[in-house]
Amino acid sequence: MVTRFDRESDLIIIKASIWGPGGMTPASLALDTGSAHTVIAASIIDDLGYSPRHGEAITTVRTAVGKEQGYVLRISRFRTLRFTVSDFPVHVFDLPDGFGIDGLVGLSFLRQFNVELRLAEGRLLVDRIAA
Amino acid sequence: MAEEHTTTESVLSEPLTWQEICARYPDEWVALVEIDWVDEDDLDFRSARVAGHGKTRREPLDQARPLREHYDEIGHFFTGPIRVPLRTYMMP
Repeated sequence: MVTRFDRESDLIIIKASIWGPGGMTPASLALDTGSAHTVIAASIIDDLGYSPRHGEAITTVRTAVGKEQGYVLRISRFRTLRFTVSDFPVHVFDLPDGFGIDGLVGLSFLRQFNVELRLAEGRLLVDRIAA
Repeated sequence: MAEEHTTTESVLSEPLTWQEICARYPDEWVALVEIDWVDEDDLDFRSARVAGHGKTRREPLDQARPLREHYDEIGHFFTGPIRVPLRTYMMP
Protein backbone atom coordinates (compact mmCIF):
# COMPACT_ATOMS: atom_id res chain seq x y z
CA MET A 1 0.00 0.00 0.00
CA VAL A 2 1.37 3.40 -0.91
CA THR A 3 0.66 6.67 0.89
CA ARG A 4 1.97 9.97 -0.37
CA PHE A 5 3.14 12.86 1.80
CA ASP A 6 4.51 16.35 1.25
CA ARG A 7 8.28 15.87 1.07
CA GLU A 8 8.81 19.65 1.48
CA SER A 9 7.20 19.66 4.94
CA ASP A 10 9.34 19.60 8.11
CA LEU A 11 7.33 16.61 9.30
CA ILE A 12 5.78 13.60 7.57
CA ILE A 13 2.08 14.43 7.83
CA ILE A 14 -0.44 11.70 7.11
CA LYS A 15 -4.19 11.48 7.26
CA ALA A 16 -5.83 9.43 9.99
CA SER A 17 -9.48 8.66 10.62
CA ILE A 18 -10.54 8.28 14.23
CA TRP A 19 -13.89 6.82 15.27
CA GLY A 20 -15.76 7.27 18.52
CA PRO A 21 -19.25 7.12 19.98
CA GLY A 22 -20.04 10.50 18.37
CA GLY A 23 -18.86 9.78 14.84
CA MET A 24 -15.62 9.99 12.88
CA THR A 25 -12.96 12.66 12.51
CA PRO A 26 -10.30 12.83 9.83
CA ALA A 27 -7.18 14.43 11.28
CA SER A 28 -3.56 15.25 10.41
CA LEU A 29 -0.95 13.27 12.34
CA ALA A 30 2.82 13.32 12.18
CA LEU A 31 4.57 10.01 11.52
CA ASP A 32 7.04 9.61 14.38
CA THR A 33 9.25 6.53 14.53
CA GLY A 34 10.86 8.08 17.62
CA SER A 35 7.65 7.75 19.61
CA ALA A 36 6.73 4.43 21.18
CA HIS A 37 3.11 5.52 21.36
CA THR A 38 0.41 6.94 19.15
CA VAL A 39 -0.74 10.26 20.57
CA ILE A 40 -4.02 12.10 19.89
CA ALA A 41 -5.03 15.58 21.06
CA ALA A 42 -7.56 15.59 23.88
CA SER A 43 -9.89 18.01 22.09
CA ILE A 44 -10.36 15.55 19.19
CA ILE A 45 -10.97 12.67 21.57
CA ASP A 46 -13.47 14.70 23.63
CA ASP A 47 -15.34 15.73 20.49
CA LEU A 48 -15.74 12.09 19.45
CA GLY A 49 -17.63 11.39 22.65
CA TYR A 50 -14.87 9.82 24.73
CA SER A 51 -13.88 11.10 28.14
CA PRO A 52 -11.14 10.39 30.69
CA ARG A 53 -13.64 8.01 32.33
CA HIS A 54 -13.00 5.66 29.37
CA GLY A 55 -9.26 5.80 30.08
CA GLU A 56 -7.23 2.77 31.15
CA ALA A 57 -4.24 4.44 32.79
CA ILE A 58 -2.79 7.82 33.64
CA THR A 59 0.29 8.77 31.66
CA THR A 60 2.72 11.69 31.68
CA VAL A 61 4.45 13.58 28.89
CA ARG A 62 7.49 15.77 29.44
CA THR A 63 7.79 18.78 27.13
CA ALA A 64 10.17 21.73 26.85
CA VAL A 65 7.93 23.68 29.21
CA GLY A 66 7.18 21.04 31.81
CA LYS A 67 5.20 17.90 32.49
CA GLU A 68 1.64 17.24 31.46
CA GLN A 69 -0.72 14.48 32.44
CA GLY A 70 -2.88 12.53 30.01
CA TYR A 71 -4.36 9.07 29.79
CA VAL A 72 -4.39 5.90 27.71
CA LEU A 73 -7.62 5.18 25.87
CA ARG A 74 -8.72 2.41 23.51
CA ILE A 75 -10.43 3.96 20.50
CA SER A 76 -13.00 1.83 18.71
CA ARG A 77 -11.47 2.21 15.24
CA PHE A 78 -8.36 3.90 13.85
CA ARG A 79 -7.32 4.12 10.21
CA THR A 80 -4.16 5.49 8.67
CA LEU A 81 -1.73 4.49 5.90
CA ARG A 82 -4.69 2.60 4.32
CA PHE A 83 -5.01 0.14 7.21
CA THR A 84 -7.71 0.00 9.88
CA VAL A 85 -7.29 -1.36 13.40
CA SER A 86 -9.90 -1.80 16.11
CA ASP A 87 -9.76 -1.31 19.86
CA PHE A 88 -6.51 0.59 19.42
CA PRO A 89 -4.74 2.15 22.47
CA VAL A 90 -3.66 5.78 22.11
CA HIS A 91 -2.22 8.31 24.52
CA VAL A 92 -4.44 11.36 24.96
CA PHE A 93 -2.87 14.73 25.76
CA ASP A 94 -3.66 18.43 25.47
CA LEU A 95 -1.26 19.18 22.63
CA PRO A 96 -0.26 22.83 22.04
CA ASP A 97 -2.40 24.55 19.40
CA GLY A 98 0.47 26.08 17.44
CA PHE A 99 2.00 22.96 15.94
CA GLY A 100 -0.81 22.32 13.46
CA ILE A 101 -1.11 18.58 14.05
CA ASP A 102 -3.61 16.51 15.99
CA GLY A 103 -1.09 13.99 17.21
CA LEU A 104 1.55 11.44 16.32
CA VAL A 105 1.50 7.99 14.76
CA GLY A 106 4.11 6.07 16.69
CA LEU A 107 5.51 2.56 16.83
CA SER A 108 2.42 1.20 18.59
CA PHE A 109 0.75 1.37 15.16
CA LEU A 110 3.74 1.08 12.84
CA ARG A 111 5.22 -2.11 14.30
CA GLN A 112 2.28 -4.11 12.92
CA PHE A 113 3.66 -3.45 9.44
CA ASN A 114 6.75 -3.32 7.31
CA VAL A 115 7.18 0.37 6.55
CA GLU A 116 9.46 1.70 3.86
CA LEU A 117 10.04 5.43 3.96
CA ARG A 118 11.01 6.91 0.60
CA LEU A 119 11.72 10.48 1.65
CA ALA A 120 13.00 11.76 -1.69
CA GLU A 121 9.86 10.48 -3.43
CA GLY A 122 7.41 11.55 -0.71
CA ARG A 123 6.05 8.00 -0.51
CA LEU A 124 5.43 5.53 2.31
CA LEU A 125 5.20 1.86 1.39
CA VAL A 126 3.35 -0.17 4.00
CA ASP A 127 2.72 -3.92 4.07
CA ARG A 128 1.04 -5.92 6.79
CA ILE A 129 3.35 -8.46 8.39
CA ALA A 130 2.25 -11.99 7.62
CA ALA A 131 0.89 -13.83 10.68
CA MET B 1 -13.65 49.87 19.22
CA ALA B 2 -14.45 46.42 17.89
CA GLU B 3 -14.81 43.85 20.62
CA GLU B 4 -13.02 40.57 20.04
CA HIS B 5 -15.13 37.58 20.93
CA THR B 6 -15.26 33.83 20.45
CA THR B 7 -18.30 32.42 18.74
CA THR B 8 -19.65 28.93 19.32
CA GLU B 9 -22.33 29.30 16.64
CA SER B 10 -21.97 27.05 13.60
CA VAL B 11 -22.28 28.78 10.22
CA LEU B 12 -21.58 26.67 7.14
CA SER B 13 -19.57 28.20 4.33
CA GLU B 14 -20.13 27.45 0.68
CA PRO B 15 -17.95 24.62 -0.73
CA LEU B 16 -14.35 25.83 -0.83
CA THR B 17 -11.04 24.40 -2.00
CA TRP B 18 -8.21 23.97 0.53
CA GLN B 19 -6.44 26.98 -0.99
CA GLU B 20 -9.57 29.12 -0.54
CA ILE B 21 -9.99 27.91 3.06
CA CYS B 22 -6.36 28.79 3.85
CA ALA B 23 -6.78 32.25 2.31
CA ARG B 24 -10.01 32.94 4.20
CA TYR B 25 -8.85 31.56 7.58
CA PRO B 26 -5.05 31.94 7.68
CA ASP B 27 -3.20 30.23 10.56
CA GLU B 28 -6.42 28.90 12.06
CA TRP B 29 -7.90 25.55 12.96
CA VAL B 30 -10.95 24.66 10.86
CA ALA B 31 -13.72 22.06 11.16
CA LEU B 32 -14.83 20.78 7.75
CA VAL B 33 -17.91 18.91 6.58
CA GLU B 34 -19.08 17.59 3.21
CA ILE B 35 -15.45 16.86 2.34
CA ASP B 36 -15.10 15.73 -1.26
CA TRP B 37 -11.98 13.55 -0.93
CA VAL B 38 -9.76 12.89 -3.92
CA ASP B 39 -8.66 9.73 -2.12
CA GLU B 40 -10.20 8.66 1.20
CA ASP B 41 -6.76 7.84 2.61
CA ASP B 42 -4.91 11.01 1.58
CA LEU B 43 -5.22 14.55 2.83
CA ASP B 44 -6.20 15.89 -0.62
CA PHE B 45 -9.79 16.97 -1.17
CA ARG B 46 -11.54 18.88 -3.93
CA SER B 47 -13.79 20.97 -1.70
CA ALA B 48 -15.34 21.14 1.76
CA ARG B 49 -17.62 23.42 3.75
CA VAL B 50 -16.22 25.18 6.81
CA ALA B 51 -18.35 24.52 9.90
CA GLY B 52 -16.09 26.26 12.40
CA HIS B 53 -12.78 28.05 12.71
CA GLY B 54 -10.58 29.64 15.35
CA LYS B 55 -7.09 30.16 16.71
CA THR B 56 -7.34 27.23 19.11
CA ARG B 57 -7.86 23.58 18.26
CA ARG B 58 -11.00 23.44 20.37
CA GLU B 59 -12.89 26.46 18.92
CA PRO B 60 -13.92 24.97 15.56
CA LEU B 61 -14.87 21.69 17.23
CA ASP B 62 -17.14 23.54 19.65
CA GLN B 63 -18.73 25.49 16.78
CA ALA B 64 -19.29 22.35 14.69
CA ARG B 65 -20.61 20.20 17.54
CA PRO B 66 -24.31 20.92 16.80
CA LEU B 67 -23.72 19.44 13.33
CA ARG B 68 -22.59 16.07 14.71
CA GLU B 69 -26.14 14.77 14.42
CA HIS B 70 -26.19 15.67 10.70
CA TYR B 71 -22.67 14.62 9.71
CA ASP B 72 -20.87 11.37 10.53
CA GLU B 73 -17.58 12.93 9.45
CA ILE B 74 -16.24 16.27 10.68
CA GLY B 75 -12.66 16.97 9.61
CA HIS B 76 -10.19 18.95 11.68
CA PHE B 77 -7.24 20.72 10.08
CA PHE B 78 -4.81 23.62 10.52
CA THR B 79 -4.39 26.14 7.68
CA GLY B 80 -0.96 27.44 8.71
CA PRO B 81 2.51 25.96 8.48
CA ILE B 82 3.07 22.84 10.59
CA ARG B 83 5.86 23.25 13.13
CA VAL B 84 7.99 20.66 14.82
CA PRO B 85 6.99 20.03 18.44
CA LEU B 86 9.77 19.82 21.01
CA ARG B 87 9.10 16.99 23.39
CA THR B 88 10.29 13.76 24.83
CA TYR B 89 8.11 11.10 26.35
CA MET B 90 8.11 9.45 29.72
CA MET B 91 6.83 5.92 29.82
CA PRO B 92 3.57 5.64 31.74
